[in-house]
Amino acid sequence: MKKVVVNPQRCVGCMQCMIACATAHSRTQSLFTAALETPTPKPRVHVGAGLCGDGFPNRCRHCDPAPCMLACLPGAIHRDPELDTVRIDPDRCINCASCAMACPFGVIRYHVDPLGPPGKTVAVKCDNCVDRRREGRIPACVEVCKSGALTFEEMGAAMKRQTDAVARSVASEVEGKPAIPAGVALHRALRRASWEMNQERKENSHEG
Amino acid sequence: MKDSVKEKSIAQDSRLLLEKARADGVETVWDRFAAQLPNCGYCEMGLSCRICVMGPCRIDPFGEGPQRGVCGADADIIVARNLGRMIAAGAASHSDHGRDLVETLAEVAEGRAEGYGIADEAKLRSFAGEYGIDTNDKDALAVAAELAEALQEDYGTRKKALTLLARAPEKRREIWKKLGIAPRGIDRETSEMMHRTHMGVDNDWQSILLHAMRNALSDGWGGSLIASEVSDILCGTPTPTPTTANAGVLKKDQVNIVVHGHNPVVSEMILLACQSPEMIALAREKGADGINLAGVCCTGNELQMRHGIPMAGNHLSTELVLTTGAVEMMIVDYQCIMPSLGQVAACYHTKMISTSDKARFPGMEHREFHPDNARKIAGELVREAVENFSRRGEVYLPVAPVTATTGFSVEAVVQALGGTPEPLLDAIKKGAIRGAAGVVGCNNPRIKQDHGHVTLMRRLIENDILVVDTGCAAVASAKAGFKTAEAAAMAGDGLKAVCQALKIPPVLHMGSCVDNVRILTLASALANALGTDISDLPIAGAAPEWYSEKAAAIGLYFVASGVYTVLGPMPPITGSANVARLLTQGLNDAVGATFAVEPDPEKAALLIRRHIEDKRRNLGLDAKAV
Amino acid sequence: MALDYVIIGNGVAGIQAAETIRRLDRTGHITLIGDETHLPYCRPMISMALEGTIDFPALTIRGPDFYEANAITPILGERVAAIDVDGRAVIIGGGRRVPFHRLLIATGADPRPVAAAGLDLNNIHYMRSQDHVRRMLASIDGARRATVLGGGLVGFKAACGLLRRGVGVSLLIGSGHPLSMQVDDEAGAMLLAELRRRGLDVRVGAAVAGFEGENGRVRSAALKDGGRVDCDLVVIGKGVRPALDFVPRDRIPVDLGILVDARMETGAPGIYAAGDVAEAEDIARRTRWVNAIWPEAVEQGRVAGMNMAGRQVAYPGSLSRNVIRVFDMDAMTAGVVTPDDDGLYEVIRERDAGGRLYRKLVFREDRLVGFTLINRIEQGGVMTALIRSRLPIRVSRRRLLAPDFNWSLLLP
Repeated sequence: MKKVVVNPQRCVGCMQCMIACATAHSRTQSLFTAALETPTPKPRVHVGAGLCGDGFPNRCRHCDPAPCMLACLPGAIHRDPELDTVRIDPDRCINCASCAMACPFGVIRYHVDPLGPPGKTVAVKCDNCVDRRREGRIPACVEVCKSGALTFEEMGAAMKRQTDAVARSVASEVEGKPAIPAGVALHRALRRASWEMNQERKENSHEG
Repeated sequence: MKDSVKEKSIAQDSRLLLEKARADGVETVWDRFAAQLPNCGYCEMGLSCRICVMGPCRIDPFGEGPQRGVCGADADIIVARNLGRMIAAGAASHSDHGRDLVETLAEVAEGRAEGYGIADEAKLRSFAGEYGIDTNDKDALAVAAELAEALQEDYGTRKKALTLLARAPEKRREIWKKLGIAPRGIDRETSEMMHRTHMGVDNDWQSILLHAMRNALSDGWGGSLIASEVSDILCGTPTPTPTTANAGVLKKDQVNIVVHGHNPVVSEMILLACQSPEMIALAREKGADGINLAGVCCTGNELQMRHGIPMAGNHLSTELVLTTGAVEMMIVDYQCIMPSLGQVAACYHTKMISTSDKARFPGMEHREFHPDNARKIAGELVREAVENFSRRGEVYLPVAPVTATTGFSVEAVVQALGGTPEPLLDAIKKGAIRGAAGVVGCNNPRIKQDHGHVTLMRRLIENDILVVDTGCAAVASAKAGFKTAEAAAMAGDGLKAVCQALKIPPVLHMGSCVDNVRILTLASALANALGTDISDLPIAGAAPEWYSEKAAAIGLYFVASGVYTVLGPMPPITGSANVARLLTQGLNDAVGATFAVEPDPEKAALLIRRHIEDKRRNLGLDAKAV
Repeated sequence: MALDYVIIGNGVAGIQAAETIRRLDRTGHITLIGDETHLPYCRPMISMALEGTIDFPALTIRGPDFYEANAITPILGERVAAIDVDGRAVIIGGGRRVPFHRLLIATGADPRPVAAAGLDLNNIHYMRSQDHVRRMLASIDGARRATVLGGGLVGFKAACGLLRRGVGVSLLIGSGHPLSMQVDDEAGAMLLAELRRRGLDVRVGAAVAGFEGENGRVRSAALKDGGRVDCDLVVIGKGVRPALDFVPRDRIPVDLGILVDARMETGAPGIYAAGDVAEAEDIARRTRWVNAIWPEAVEQGRVAGMNMAGRQVAYPGSLSRNVIRVFDMDAMTAGVVTPDDDGLYEVIRERDAGGRLYRKLVFREDRLVGFTLINRIEQGGVMTALIRSRLPIRVSRRRLLAPDFNWSLLLP
């Protein structure tokens, strides 16, 4: 089964996946109209800033066993075998935040969802775009990601691709193409350098 | 809930006021910066293009996603176009600022600008001379009228070359001519840049970058230079003056008025009004011990350079000075004024006033200044500020001000040297002073406030490199205490001896950000004295904490004029290896100077020292290994 | 040979164990003894039935076919009288013996009784089971003023539930603020202020001496300081204690709860314990502790079930943790919340200017061992995982406190 694979080294932090996700989980399904909906559609993938401000698309891993599912008081979280997806039933959800305490990735949010019961605050997280999949479309976050940080593929293929990339980076001079292009590497090195410089321990203060 | 304030600034006033802002629930630039993270990588690398609506487009830097925009532009073209527009915006900002001064000069000549006058008639006459105006037997106002007319011509499109290019060394002008980048008209080059970067015009990234240099030169040898010179004519050419700096310059028992922005036209009239006996009497009546005018940012630099008016802070301090609760009124003109200021002021009693027809802000009252009404409005505003004193709440002034000496125009530097630049050249030739560096530019929340400026300057003067500074960099060094004669003790032995002999600080304040042209003028004078080019001199530029399009334009006119320039933050060019390589290496063959990018000021200092020693070696002077 | 599994308790630990055993052992006999006759239900949600936001059927967490589908023999409405450890049998009502090869004690906990006069009056309730709530609701009509004893989770939720039902509530708390076992003084003060803002009459430092009534129905509570609180409904929520009266302490070592090892096995081979009755190693406190909370019951039941069915699985230890939403305020805590001032711990905390946010982290050496979050609780699970993993914290502690803390900060 094809799955969404996160390739963190490819994330450029553009947050396009968040916008596409919110749109895909809106009633009107188009960015321009979705932004005008009430309640406002919200993303279920969250690009957080890492240590040096690098992006990372944090998304439900659909764990097995899923800690959120075990912690759920009303039994609102279940595994949908069709897409191997952990899903939350918004009708059963009681917004108790037990899943917030259980999720080791911090990917669950609590708000009124345009697709859920009107006016009811519920736990909301990635559903692997189950509606889009039934229409034969790939998940919205993958479709919009142009840098390859989110891909949709068989796990085996993804593993092989990543192994190959490591092999290439080790033998980059032979193969000629580095795993991380020079411009990206420079960009990240500078970002890291500024971050390190701003650390409290790097002190060159004048008091008063 | 936040990172330690020590990670935000090295300045004690900023740290304490930031803690106060947090306690008061005031959102600051650092909060908004954190909220923006992660920054979009496409935008940071210059790989997103919003120029037309076939797009917007972005190029995948990893090479697998899209490699061309809808129009077919590749990474090189998109990065070059974006950079070109950045330079155009920066050049336009300085140059439009200059235009406002030229218009004021014209109105003074026509007698329609009450309160303004010709403050430096000698400069008026010599400057008019550069424009080929016969000044004999004409009174000052007649000369001013002709000069204003001639200056306006430089803005137009009818000339083959800008008049003031003549100040540049002969060799430099030859290079520009050969590359086809001698600027023709100030507005023309900006206008042409917007044209070239429209979809389907210039799609050779090298050609775009050459024009970007021409556009930047139209600023450095045009708009900014005119702004600086006309400011001197109208407001006086700066001379060394004692002053003070940091947020502690605000006074607990006085009415505090802070001016912010870039153009001295408004603030000069505010200063006059603050000095009027009537207002001072009114302040006393309201229980205040007087009226204290202070500046922030480059309007502050303009006033400080000419009148010793105290400097309350640089770019990242502009919100913080309001959190003192001590500011009765902040009056802004334009550029670098954060639109958040009105919201910050709303937490205190501070009145916020915008003054320019082209710059309005949320939460500010708009009181439009023009040369013909400036005197009157300035009086009204100062009266309102005084009346606002009684609404003051609790005041928090956490630090005592630092003293500084400011006002080192080129004329003042030459004066300090005894009337000719020879002593400076001799000190450089002998090696007591290894060279000189201009440390300029802004603050940027990416860099701990003032850390870049202060660390770099400290390392440079320690190694006998004379530092001249402008803009927010100059405020940083004043706060750090580098602008006193005693600061010579921090310099290396050679520079220390020179500073002590001349009774000057090792870091010379040359003004606001348009005053970077003073550095170019000085460099040209040195090059001419040696019969060589600017690019042969043991000098360098640095913008350790730059943020703005204006700073990008300054950096590029420095490089295009032959000054090696080290940037702290990376401009949005890493998406194109070609553009990055050209700017950091290739330009050396074209203009004899390049950019370097180094966020760490310790390493930037090494780069500059190495460069200066290399230049010394090429001039046949003694050179050290760095 | 098919094994006989006996599980005492049809709470969540018991049913998790039963389901786990059934997944691993298709042929063994599973007997489940429970004193409650309802279908398995969610105990932490009974307060929601009290407040009326859900109805009783919604408490059910397993369907009517649960026992049959898992081939479980239920013996419901029975409390166990004794365990014959040597005879490998559980003794229930009437001396009936239920033999076992593997036994799980998952009897949970009972409300801690209070010593006070007049407890025999009507309309004085505990709140532990859905039957308790049904009885409370039966007496709520005509009730105008309720007194709730105890500011722990039960008392707290009972008070909020009654308030939402439109009953005026006086909450009597022995300590200085509600949830004193779960949160520190500062967070407690925030919760107290929120409750009072919502109209709850909270009395701190209050203790009840007895109840007085008329016609058999409670009318007031007399306080030890001489004060008096009028009420016609009383809920006693002074905590719980493990339900282990039937456990032979000479054969099965007991401290506060039944002591278990990393496989949830008691000191008597083949006899396991899980849930509110069990006392296991606490990850954060680094000592044995009874953490009578739902998620621990779930996990301990699963681990016990796997080990009983022969799959050797180690339990990483328990961790106290709670999340509670109080009107517009959210509170999440885990691990060591108020450490002893013995130099072992380092505490950092932050609050925002608006008084909305409060965060406190407790470290022991280079590991996170506890936290308190008031509002912005979405990343609490990441912190809980950090405590449970016992990994050294490499990111700066200030970053952990910052509101932008997120999982990607933990990436290398």
